[in-house]
Amino acid sequence: MADTVVDVHHDAHAHDDHHHGPSGIIKYLWSTDHKIIAMQYMFTGMAMGILGGYMAYVFRMQLAFPGISVPGFGQVSPGEYNALITNHGSIMIFWLAMPVLIAAFGNYLIPLMIGADDMVFPRINRLSFQIFFISVLVLLASLFVEGGGFGGAWTSYPPLSSEAEFNLTNLGSTLWLTAVALEFVAFLLGGINFITTLMNARAPGMKAYDIPLVCWMIVIASILFMLSVGPLIAGAVMLLFDQTLNTGFYDPARGGDPILWQHLFWFFGHPEVYVVLLPAIGITIEVMATFSRKKIFGYKMVLYTAVATGVLSFFVWAHHQFIAGIDPRMANVFTITTLLISVPIAEMLFVMIATLYGGSIRLTTPMLWALAFMAEFLIGGVTGIFLGASGADIYFHDTYFVLAHFHYTFFPIAIIGTFCGFTYWFPKMFGKMMNETLGKIHFWGTVIPFNFIFIPLFVLGMGGQHRRIYNFQHFPELAGPEMYNLRQTATIALLVMIAFQLVFFTNLIMSLIKGEKAGKNPWKANSLEWTTESPPPHGNWPPDQMPVVYRGPYEFGHPDREEDYWPQDEPA
Amino acid sequence: MGHARPLATSRSATGIPTGRLAVWWILASEVVIFGGLLGVYIMHRIGHPEWAEAASHTQTWVGAINTFVLLTSSFTAVLAHQAAEKGDGKKAAKLLGMTILGALTFLVIKSLEWTNEISHGYTITANTFWSFYYTAAGLHALHVIAGAIIMGVVAFDAYRGRELHRVELIGIYWHFVDVVWIFLFPLLYIAK
Amino acid sequence: MSENHENNEPQGDGHDDGHHVNYFRIYVVLLVLFLISVAGPEVGELTGLRWITLITAFGIALVKANLVINNFMHLRWEKKLMKWVLATSVILMVLMVAGIAPDVLNHEGRNWQNLAAQAAVERGLGEDDHGEETMLAEGGAEAAPAGFSAASSFGTVCATCHGAGGQGDGPAGAALTPAPANFTDPAFWEGRDRDRVLTVIRDGAASVGGSALMAPWGALYTEEQLEQVTDYVMAFRPN
Repeated sequence: MADTVVDVHHDAHAHDDHHHGPSGIIKYLWSTDHKIIAMQYMFTGMAMGILGGYMAYVFRMQLAFPGISVPGFGQVSPGEYNALITNHGSIMIFWLAMPVLIAAFGNYLIPLMIGADDMVFPRINRLSFQIFFISVLVLLASLFVEGGGFGGAWTSYPPLSSEAEFNLTNLGSTLWLTAVALEFVAFLLGGINFITTLMNARAPGMKAYDIPLVCWMIVIASILFMLSVGPLIAGAVMLLFDQTLNTGFYDPARGGDPILWQHLFWFFGHPEVYVVLLPAIGITIEVMATFSRKKIFGYKMVLYTAVATGVLSFFVWAHHQFIAGIDPRMANVFTITTLLISVPIAEMLFVMIATLYGGSIRLTTPMLWALAFMAEFLIGGVTGIFLGASGADIYFHDTYFVLAHFHYTFFPIAIIGTFCGFTYWFPKMFGKMMNETLGKIHFWGTVIPFNFIFIPLFVLGMGGQHRRIYNFQHFPELAGPEMYNLRQTATIALLVMIAFQLVFFTNLIMSLIKGEKAGKNPWKANSLEWTTESPPPHGNWPPDQMPVVYRGPYEFGHPDREEDYWPQDEPA
Repeated sequence: MGHARPLATSRSATGIPTGRLAVWWILASEVVIFGGLLGVYIMHRIGHPEWAEAASHTQTWVGAINTFVLLTSSFTAVLAHQAAEKGDGKKAAKLLGMTILGALTFLVIKSLEWTNEISHGYTITANTFWSFYYTAAGLHALHVIAGAIIMGVVAFDAYRGRELHRVELIGIYWHFVDVVWIFLFPLLYIAK
Repeated sequence: MSENHENNEPQGDGHDDGHHVNYFRIYVVLLVLFLISVAGPEVGELTGLRWITLITAFGIALVKANLVINNFMHLRWEKKLMKWVLATSVILMVLMVAGIAPDVLNHEGRNWQNLAAQAAVERGLGEDDHGEETMLAEGGAEAAPAGFSAASSFGTVCATCHGAGGQGDGPAGAALTPAPANFTDPAFWEGRDRDRVLTVIRDGAASVGGSALMAPWGALYTEEQLEQVTDYVMAFRPN
């Protein structure tokens, strides 16, 4: 074993010197170092998030001030409105949440937290980012071709999505579908890396229950993704053929069935939301343990409920189709399973609360984000119960109630989760501390307006406001002043929230340039990433000092210790 | 460009070599992709008895020959694995070469078959049965092509005594491609 | 190089020692099964006993797959974990089919009927005797489109903004600036002729320098239908 280690790292030092940062732009672009690939995913994902946010700005301006020429866009036509909401949804899920929460944090943290020098397949890792990047380019291309971007909603139901004569985009719809398919391939490849690395490449002494929860969560999410996306890939190929070759897979007159697409899509679509939820919960729990100076209340509980959630998530998909004309007997089954799945998720939130209880709480910026995650996700979760009951869903389906529900879940996942993880691991990634004051201003400036955006939307939904309408002034029952005011409130809150994001970018740049230098372990946490330099060198540790593990990652406040934390790699 | 294999790749906390572990996971994802497509096809087939007429025009004996070709290529692939285990890289490479030959034979027969069918008007848009036929067999053929290419690379290395463990890995993938065809054959050719 | 063996034989994976499989024998068994699976359906056809076809074609497929997976892929000597993973993916597919089949398989239920699918089945079965010819004739056949009516199309597509009477007073038009055209107003028709109306309907008003609020509708109509809708609009013109 020692020979191999020396062999391997002789080569590494000879040609790939990353000790002092990337040397040469080509070497950087072509790097197989998991940390660099993680950064590539992180910044691509964040850039796409900005694009998705811009789209939200444009269509919310149209909704609040119908017919207006939106500053920075122009007047929004109905077709453009549809393309904006479609691409907003697709981008936020596929090109923000997944790359940041799974690919970026997974790539960065997993090898470090299990004491490995890289992922087990670094070249496949690089390939998966390159495929992902191509999917970004294809999606962007879809927005600029003749006919504009695809406007059939991120759910892409045929026949709207399969017939150019209906969706009026021709190339746009095909490019969109291709971009999604490429993104799936990238994450399948990445998932193989994460799963295999976690299973096999752990440091000596690290048993299964010594692995930090966030790593488990990312890997469980990858497995969930892999198992659920297969039928949709098959279905997407079929849709692609319907679009381009004029086959009739989803045309009932030719022996196909549009409901089939709905089933295939949601068979993936529902597990997908847990694919992004689990990593966010993982990040939040890590942060909570560190800033309560306390063990996670039920590590195994969280692990098993995460697996249970994953398993159950395969049994709930048709709750998205309650009023699509599915067999009503299936609707009964799916109501029961949907209500059941709230149990394991609630369980995980209870563990969070129990972890905090009696802890020595430090309200740092990452901790604030973690607490906000819990509070906001809770609202999202309970509003899901209304929708899971098929009877109530008859009223709520396709109203803004649904939209507010899933933003109260997705926003904590994709935005709060991202900022939580980013502010927590920033010192490790860049060797500098972020400014706490700016961090807190950004936090409050994001979370408070967030509620003012989406609570009005719950009210509007209950009032009967439908989704995917570009101008509510066309509907007398929805055009009245109360509803109009709610729409405007939501939009103005969005503008405030967008303004506060400037604080984050200011903080980011300031901290990168002249932030206070961070040591190896500024938060005094236990997991292995905090035992190496900030930022870690290529190979993470010197080859002869790879960590050996002696205990779990949450040994805070142990009675035998003077310090209130006990790193995993310190011998007993 | 030389690439140093990380220490991580040679570790094995599960006792399964990393490469093989990865191939099994890849196969798990392939099972749900093909399973999804074939599950959908089966449902449609049962719900559309009139497709039996369209299906009667598939050429069973051509499908049968291809089944025989793939079965034999699986046999040569596992023999290659046996040779690689004994450290005989050259023999393994030769047997992999025969497997690739089997793959090429399969593809040639399929091209002839499809050309024949298309010239008779059984195109992908002729009927939704034919849409499934070409999509399922086409997806399978793509996997045959990809497998053959990777196998070529592995054989190239094996002949020089390098990376012999990969013979087993590409073999496992290849057997999976064979298994998919074992199910495709009755579904597309025999169910009439 | 030592690293090959590193990756080939890590501690105790066990499958290389102790198993003796005669691959050739398995191959022969596979071939025999294969021959039965081809011959069986022929027998099934001749005797008309469907179950023979099912067992020989599909049952044998399962047996063959089992043999290949366990013996060639060595799954029977693999760690239990991987067997569970693969079993899970298969079970998921069964679950998926079980969940989708009630919708896709049935063309009618307690309160509903899938008319288009039923029609497709009937068409296919009814023309069975014509064999090949029929299939080619069907080639990509779409359901016969319902008869097109310009009036009805105007009602669904145009009236929301332009009003049922073409007076620009449709409910959706109320908040628009500029307001939707009033076809009964003589002032509207100054400088506008039939060609322009057709162009605007097909390519949108922006194409002639007007407002983008009047979207292009050309993709909805054939040439013939476009002419009919244009005529319908022209009929509002006062004089």
